[in-house]
Amino acid sequence: MARKKRRQEWHAGELNLTAMIDVAFQLLNFFVITTHPVDVFSNLDVFRPQPEKMITKQEEEIPLLEIFVFKDGYAMSKKPMELPELDRKLERISSNSKDSMIIIKCTGDSTQAGLVNVLDLCAKHELGKISIFSL
Amino acid sequence: MRKQSEEMQSGGLISMIDVIFQIIIFFVCTASMQDNSHDAMINLATAPHGKVEKEKNPLQIEIEINSRGLVTVGRSPLTDSELYAVIRKAVNECAPMPVPVIIRADGRATHTMVRKAMDECTKAGVTQVRIAALKEKGQ
Repeated sequence: MARKKRRQEWHAGELNLTAMIDVAFQLLNFFVITTHPVDVFSNLDVFRPQPEKMITKQEEEIPLLEIFVFKDGYAMSKKPMELPELDRKLERISSNSKDSMIIIKCTGDSTQAGLVNVLDLCAKHELGKISIFSL
Repeated sequence: MRKQSEEMQSGGLISMIDVIFQIIIFFVCTASMQDNSHDAMINLATAPHGKVEKEKNPLQIEIEINSRGLVTVGRSPLTDSELYAVIRKAVNECAPMPVPVIIRADGRATHTMVRKAMDECTKAGVTQVRIAALKEKGQ
């Protein structure tokens, strides 16, 4: 009886659990409403060769692939093409060799999004030797 | 006597809970401030197949280029010569290690705007750069 009384005294008094849970839920609500999921960023590695660097004989032997990025489209091997076609071509090239050297040539009025689209396709097909040239 | 000690115990518990909430609020606030190191006005182009950087290299230089061609490093606008000086200094300090340079350019920026930053990197001795893109947008 005495023990029961003591326990009652403990609960009755000092720590108001209901208020604390109230505050905790208020805080939880606040954080859930105010926080937003963060964006996930990716990085695409490219080489930016120095203009005065001469192409050596050894480098000439590596198969080179030129992709042009224009303001409103793309071209490969001097043939204009859309992104899905470029995707298929790069897939074929990747299945033969992943060591192909890719040179992306961008015109001044082409957008960064256009360049990133090509780099993304290269990343998709695991083609890693990419250089960017400006026209 | 016993009642007094119980009161002291419960008083200590309340303060502890107070402090814990204060700490939680502090961490939540500072975590969101850390995200402000990037210019929120830059809309990166999406690259779902790009690789995600798990750990941020403390030596890396992030060059931000907005849709109007304004070049900033650490939210400070820089001219071409200032950008060159920043990269050159980092290259000298990190030698012989390469300096990781990340270009965060808006998807609408033209290549002429991005080219300037790339050319300054090349001039300063950085021939490998990383193009930042958006892998996955937070909902």
